[in-house]
Amino acid sequence: MSPSTEQRPPLAEFWDNLRAAPRRILDTAFRGGSPSTDRTRSTFVFGNVFLHLHSARVHRWTLRWTATAGLGIATTAAFLITLVTGVLLMFYYKPYPDVAYQSIKDIHFVVPTGRFMRNIHRWAANVMVVTVILHMARAFYTAAYRKPREFNWVIGMGLLAVTLGLSFTGYLLPWDQLAYWAITIGANIAQSPREVTDALEITEWFDPGGFQRALLLGSEVVGEEALIRFYLLHVMILPLVLVGLMSIHFWRIRKDGGLARPVDADQRLEPEPGVYPVFTQAPEKTYQLAAVVEGRTPAVGRGPENTVPSMPHLFYAELGVLMLTTLICVALSIVSDAPLKELANPSVPENPAKAPWYFLGLQELVAFSAFMGGIGIPTIVLAGLGLIPYLDRESEGTGLWFGGPGGWPLVKRALVVGFGASILVEAFVIRYGWIREWFPSVGQLVVTVLNPGTLLTLIYGAYSVWLVKRYRSTRAGALGLFTCFLCGFLVLTVVGTYFRGPNWDFYWSPSQWPRH
Amino acid sequence: MAEALNAMKKNKILLLVSSIGVFVLLAAAAIDENFLKQWRRIQASGSHDGEPIPVQLRQVVNMGLRTADRCVSCHVSMGPGEDGVTGNALFKKHPPVVHDPAQYGCTVCHGGQGLATEKDDAHGTVHFWPEPMIPAAVAEAGCGTCHAAPGVPSRDTLRQARATFERLDCGACHRVDGRGGTIRPDGGGMEGPDLSRVGITGYDAGWHGKHVAKAAAADKGPWKTSFAPVPEADQGAVAMYLAVRNSAPRLTEAKSVFLSYGCLGCHRLSGVGGDEGPDLTRAGERDPGQTDFTHVPEQQGLDNWIAEHFRSPGAVMTGSKMPAVAAPESDIQQLTMFVLSLRRRELPGAYMPKDRIAVARMGQREFAPDGATIYGAFCAGCHGLNGLGRTSGDETFPAIANPEFQKLVTDRFLTETIARGRPGRRMPGWKKEGGLRPEEIRVVVEHLRALAGVTGRTEEDAWKANGSTAEGRKLYAAACAGCHGDKGQGAKGPSLGTRAFLEVATEGYLRDTITKGRPGTVMPAFGEPSTVHRTLTPGDVESIVTFINLWKGK
Repeated sequence: MSPSTEQRPPLAEFWDNLRAAPRRILDTAFRGGSPSTDRTRSTFVFGNVFLHLHSARVHRWTLRWTATAGLGIATTAAFLITLVTGVLLMFYYKPYPDVAYQSIKDIHFVVPTGRFMRNIHRWAANVMVVTVILHMARAFYTAAYRKPREFNWVIGMGLLAVTLGLSFTGYLLPWDQLAYWAITIGANIAQSPREVTDALEITEWFDPGGFQRALLLGSEVVGEEALIRFYLLHVMILPLVLVGLMSIHFWRIRKDGGLARPVDADQRLEPEPGVYPVFTQAPEKTYQLAAVVEGRTPAVGRGPENTVPSMPHLFYAELGVLMLTTLICVALSIVSDAPLKELANPSVPENPAKAPWYFLGLQELVAFSAFMGGIGIPTIVLAGLGLIPYLDRESEGTGLWFGGPGGWPLVKRALVVGFGASILVEAFVIRYGWIREWFPSVGQLVVTVLNPGTLLTLIYGAYSVWLVKRYRSTRAGALGLFTCFLCGFLVLTVVGTYFRGPNWDFYWSPSQWPRH
Repeated sequence: MAEALNAMKKNKILLLVSSIGVFVLLAAAAIDENFLKQWRRIQASGSHDGEPIPVQLRQVVNMGLRTADRCVSCHVSMGPGEDGVTGNALFKKHPPVVHDPAQYGCTVCHGGQGLATEKDDAHGTVHFWPEPMIPAAVAEAGCGTCHAAPGVPSRDTLRQARATFERLDCGACHRVDGRGGTIRPDGGGMEGPDLSRVGITGYDAGWHGKHVAKAAAADKGPWKTSFAPVPEADQGAVAMYLAVRNSAPRLTEAKSVFLSYGCLGCHRLSGVGGDEGPDLTRAGERDPGQTDFTHVPEQQGLDNWIAEHFRSPGAVMTGSKMPAVAAPESDIQQLTMFVLSLRRRELPGAYMPKDRIAVARMGQREFAPDGATIYGAFCAGCHGLNGLGRTSGDETFPAIANPEFQKLVTDRFLTETIARGRPGRRMPGWKKEGGLRPEEIRVVVEHLRALAGVTGRTEEDAWKANGSTAEGRKLYAAACAGCHGDKGQGAKGPSLGTRAFLEVATEGYLRDTITKGRPGTVMPAFGEPSTVHRTLTPGDVESIVTFINLWKGK
């Protein structure tokens, strides 16, 4: 020991350490120091387990509001909101028939802020369904699914399915009439292959519809087995799957070099004088890893071109979207309460019994043909969507809205075709009926094959094939088909939601519904 | 400014505005939650002995009845141990009742949504709550949730019984519903016990003898001056009156009205009654959300719906075949109250009241055993309150209490007709599961005789028709087939060719009915000269009776 330290009071060092402790805790928690320089900003990102899913720098193209409209982040934000509120609701919710209903009443009337939390949970779930669909549309219209992001598009479809599954399983939990009969309808949709097996008279030996329904409900009817199944799926299995898929989805964005952008993105952007250094040319640096890692690494050979540090540029954007989503959910929750009807009563069917709104388009199709609406057309749509990145191998227009041959004018015409065809088909069926009304004795298989749903699918398909031929471009066909699909989804959902009354008959408004 | 900075500034503003918005909304929600809740403000206005009461969620939980009623969060004074809270009109104490609301809770009697903590939700006047509160004016209807008063007489019988009780001046010494039992001049309290609920608590069946003995032993005072032996008939009336003295006198009254309009002729109540109309056992539980109020003038309230349904059943409920209830408005209100009381609740054994057990499991009747009550409960709906028939729409129900008819028919004819009904007509046979017992049919027959004021025939008419079958067939086709059908199957008039009818209708009865007609129905007297129908000679009548009797063999 040196003499100078000996002269200090015995506890001086201890006191110094104690005084420095808060700062040191902060320093060690967030290693790399204050994010004030470009270097420390990068460290801030990759030194943080949550943030390092982001790249340390982000392309300026991506930060423009018009690039993504923040829809992916909004979906994630909605998920986080449902996660937090959902965990809070789990403290009070009891997944057992009748008791479940009482516990929702308790949450509604007694639990401090319980009603508010339930409202937020419900609204965030609906916002999530809307944003995930819009996010998919954004990814499609900017052709972001193209190489190397093909599989991320497929994962995105999985995320859409899981999102709908989460929402659907949550629908049953309040155990009120609305929930009970919506899930009964949903389970019947799952049973729809029976329409074909019944018509072929093979249901006795081969009954995939009955199996799907039994798998979903765990019983013949919606009962306690179904409730516990739905609960487990809702609070554990599907959230875990969703988080897993989301992680892969995000990680792939990073590995694929950020979000899709046009090849000439740098020329399209204004020159950036910048307070923060913006690399417009590859800096002098080496990537030792590049020698051992095969394939694409983030920046080898191209340099991080027109990028700015993620901290703080990207994080302000993400936090902004997160708070905006929260604001929307909270505001909706104050304006409108989550529905809660009377206690589920298996002996008093709701008429009309309606599935959750995002399945009402399906229910509309199911009303035409159970098999086609429940299995056939959804399979065609899902297969079509999944194949898009593998059929469209073009490069024109990547990263640009409505990019590709045809562009916005094509989409405009497709909107007309999409809305026109679906509204005309609906109007025709509502006005004149369909085969079953004209020829009551016709076989079920004929109706299964030839019904308004398949007709609409055929029209859309034919239009899309014609587009492919006309523009000599798969992308053009895809633009038309996807637009038509969105239009059909919208029209069928609106008809199912607002214009279908008891016995699924058409009414202009619920005030015209016959009363018993 | 640089674009990236511009973009960042936009994002910063977005973050700032959204965050402020979220903060403001959350703060508003927190204030609403903690300070503005209706029940919080109501409790904040209350005080107990000058001290403010703690603002907290209050509820009455009854595990047995499976209720958790938070009504006492606003109606604080009705909660357990919350006497003397003042400061708000809502803090009124509950009127004294048999069941302490602090123990039994609120919704089991009043309906409504016990779990709710906001007025509209709690009172159940919202969409999607199937059990709204029973209107306070007819609150006693709630007693029907658990109770079923047995042995209730029809309205007139009850009035007579009460009149007897008052005529005998029992109220001089006994108190009923707070009336009577005047203080004796020589001091002391009431001489006789309070009889308000004696139908539940029971009383000494030998009361009359004891009264007589005590009066004989007394040498002065009210016992000496006020009591005289009571005739046997009056004793019966008093017993009938006392039997229905319970805690819900208004509901009993309503039930007596219900038992006067013949509703059980078509509807079942707890398994007893006719099968023409729907079972009424749970008619008071109708869900307003599932009920069409289009044709109800007030457009809301289950009580309004039920009342309007009595006034014009077909308009309120499409397809209803129920005849309109020809009743004064006061009776309609009574009927409405009674129907509102028709509800059921699953009760644990310990809560099952004796009267319900007696009715549901021991076969005790909800109506009194006298002929007037049974006639009122089962027959009056079609045959009229006094047995003179009635017409509803295009249907005519025959008069059965007119002396002309009663003089013709034997007891056996009436008994058998009631027991077996008139196939082809709306008259059902009452010898059935959920129908009338032989003793009950007998008192109805007696009541009919009394209504007509005739003793009626006891001996069967031995007259036998011996006319010409061919002539009878011809005459029947000309005079009778128009109403009774060419094969006696009945059309506008009742069927004649059924075994049930021909086995009880003697030939003498047929002859007299054809000759003299059925007053109160469209059946004319064919023995009398007329311009609208042919006149039949006694020989013609005999031929027709001979012909009709051929169907007996079928």
